[in-house]
Amino acid sequence: MKPFISFENLSFKYSEEEPRWVLENINLTIDDGSFVAVLGHNGSGKSTLAKHLNAILLPTEGKVYVDGIDTCDEEKLFDLRQRVGMVFQNPDNQIVATVVEEDVAFAPENLGVPPAEIRERVDWALEAVSMTEYREAASYHLSGGQKQRIAIAGVLAMKPKCIVLDEPTAMLDPQGRKEVMKTIRELNKNEGITIVMITHYMNEAIMADRVVVMDEGHVILDGDPYEVFSHVDELKSVGLDVPQPTELMYLLKGAGVDIEKTVLTDEECAEVLYNLLEGQR
Amino acid sequence: MLKDITLGQFFPGTSPIHRLDPRVKLLLALIFIVVLFVINNLVAYIIMGVLLAVVVKISQIPLGLVLKGLKPIFVVVIITAILNIFYNTTGEVLWEWGFLRVTTNGIMLGIFMAIRIVYLIIGVAIILTYTTSPILLTDAVENVFSPFKRFGFPAHEIAMMMTIAIRFIPTLVEETEKIINAQKARGADFETGSILKRAKALVPILVPLFVSAFKRADELAIAMECRCYQGGENRTRMRVLQTSRIDYVAIVITVLVCAALVSMNFMEFGWRA
Ligand SMILES: Nc1ncnc2c1ncn2[C@@H]1O[C@H](COP(=O)(O)OP(=O)(O)OP(=O)(O)O)[C@@H](O)[C@H]1O
Ligand SMILES: [Mg+2]
Repeated sequence: MKPFISFENLSFKYSEEEPRWVLENINLTIDDGSFVAVLGHNGSGKSTLAKHLNAILLPTEGKVYVDGIDTCDEEKLFDLRQRVGMVFQNPDNQIVATVVEEDVAFAPENLGVPPAEIRERVDWALEAVSMTEYREAASYHLSGGQKQRIAIAGVLAMKPKCIVLDEPTAMLDPQGRKEVMKTIRELNKNEGITIVMITHYMNEAIMADRVVVMDEGHVILDGDPYEVFSHVDELKSVGLDVPQPTELMYLLKGAGVDIEKTVLTDEECAEVLYNLLEGQR
Repeated sequence: MLKDITLGQFFPGTSPIHRLDPRVKLLLALIFIVVLFVINNLVAYIIMGVLLAVVVKISQIPLGLVLKGLKPIFVVVIITAILNIFYNTTGEVLWEWGFLRVTTNGIMLGIFMAIRIVYLIIGVAIILTYTTSPILLTDAVENVFSPFKRFGFPAHEIAMMMTIAIRFIPTLVEETEKIINAQKARGADFETGSILKRAKALVPILVPLFVSAFKRADELAIAMECRCYQGGENRTRMRVLQTSRIDYVAIVITVLVCAALVSMNFMEFGWRA
C-alpha cells in the first residue's frame, strides 16, 4: 500500500540567497490513520515541514505527496487543502467569523458545498469537538481551549483525512491543553483521521504512536515513543527533554540500578519501581 | 473605558426582529434614516420615539444595553445640539450676547439634531446590529451590492473585510487594554500633562498594537488559505437569505408609519423648525 504522506528527498530554503537549508534531504512516510508527534527545539524546521503538507510552502528540491497528490500540482491545490486541515498555535488568529457555527461553516462555504450539507457538516464537526452547546456563542466569550477546539472544528468541516497541528496547546492553560489533546486523540481513534502534531510537551508526544525528532532541518530520530525516548543522551544533546518518568529511570540507570525497559508514563514508572523494591526484599 | 464599546456587537435571540431577512432590515434601516432627517415636527419625533421603544421591546434587547450603547455618544449629542442652537438665528430672539444669539428656531433645531442622533444610534447601531448576526449583515451587504459586481464593484471583498473587522474588534480592544496596563505598570502616565505629552505617551501603545495586528493579519491570511478560501467565486453560504411573510409585514408597517410621519410635516400642528 502506498503511504498516505511521503516526503521524497525534500529540501527547502526560504530564499535563494540563504546559505543553509532550512530542511535538508528529508525522507519520511506517514501511514493513513496514524498519530505522529513531531519534536525539535526552536528553529529546527518543524513548522516549515508542516507547511509543506498542504502547499503553503512548496519544496525547493524533492517532492511531497499527500494521498497521491503532488503538492506542486496547482490544479489539485484545493483537493489537497481539503484533505489536509491545518491548525495553528493561536486560536484567535484562525477564527474568521464572530459566531461559532458561522466560523465552522467558513471552509465548506469556500468549497462550494450546498447549504443543507454545510449545516450537516457544521453540526457534525461541533459534535466531534464537544462544542455543540456553544454553536451560537460569540468566540470572544470562550476560553482558549474552547477556541482551539472551534479552530479544529473549522478544519474538520472540510472532512479532511489528515489534520496537522502546529503547537496547538502552546498558548493554553493546563485545562485547555487537556481538552484539546482529548479531542485530538478521539478524532484519531474514532474518525480515523491521520494526525501530525508538532509539540514541545513530552507528555503530549507520548500519546502519539510515532515520534519524529528534528534538528537543524534533519530528521534525527523516528520511531514509536518507547524507542525514541530510549535515546535520552541524543535527545538531550539537541536540547530536548524526555518525559519525567523516563528521566528518572535514566538517572537511576546512571546510578547503577539495573533497569532495562524504557518507561514513559507515571504508571509504568511506578510499576518498575515497585518491582525493583520487591526484588530487593 | 474601552469596555464600554458595545456597539457593533451581536446578541443572539429568537425575536421577530431577529428573524427578519437582513436585507430587509438594511432596507428598512435606510428608509428609517431618510425619514429621520426629513421629519421636522416635534410630535412626529415623539411618536417615532415611542415606536422605537416598542421595537426595542419586541427585539428583547435589555434596556441596560441600549443605555450602555448610547453612553459613548453622549458628549457628541450635547455638542451637536449646542452648535445647532447657535447655527440657526431665525425666529424670535430669546437671548443675545455679542455675536451669539439664541432663538426659538435655534433651540428647536438643537433639540431635533440631538433627537436625530440618539434615534439613529438606537435604530441602526443598536436595533440593527444587536439583532443581526455579523455574518448575516455582511451577507446582506454583499447580496444587495452584488448586481454592481459587473462594474467591478468588490462586493464580496467589502463584506469579507467587514466580517473580519467585526470579528477582531473585541480581540484588539482586549489587547489594547493589556498593553495599556503593561505600560502603566512600568510607570507610563496617560492622564496628565499637555496634549503633546499625552499624545507621545500613546506611541508605546500604538506601536506594539500595530505590530501585533500585522502579525495577526499574516497568520489569519494563512489560516484562511488553509481553509480553502479563494475569494467570492463559487462560494456557497450555510444560511441562504430568504424573505418570508414576516418581512413583508415589517415592510408594510414601516412604510405606512413613515408615510404618516412625513405627512405631518405638512400639517398645521406640533412644533417645528
Ligand atoms: N518566513 C520565513 N522566512 C525566512 N526564514 C524563516 C521563515 N520562517 C522560518 N524561518 C527560519 O527557518 C528556520 C526554521 O523555522 P521553523 O519555524 O520551521 O522552526 P520551528 O521548528 O517551527 O521552530 P519553533 O519551535 O520556534 O516553532 C528558522 O531558522 C527560522 O528562522
Ligand atoms: Mg514552529
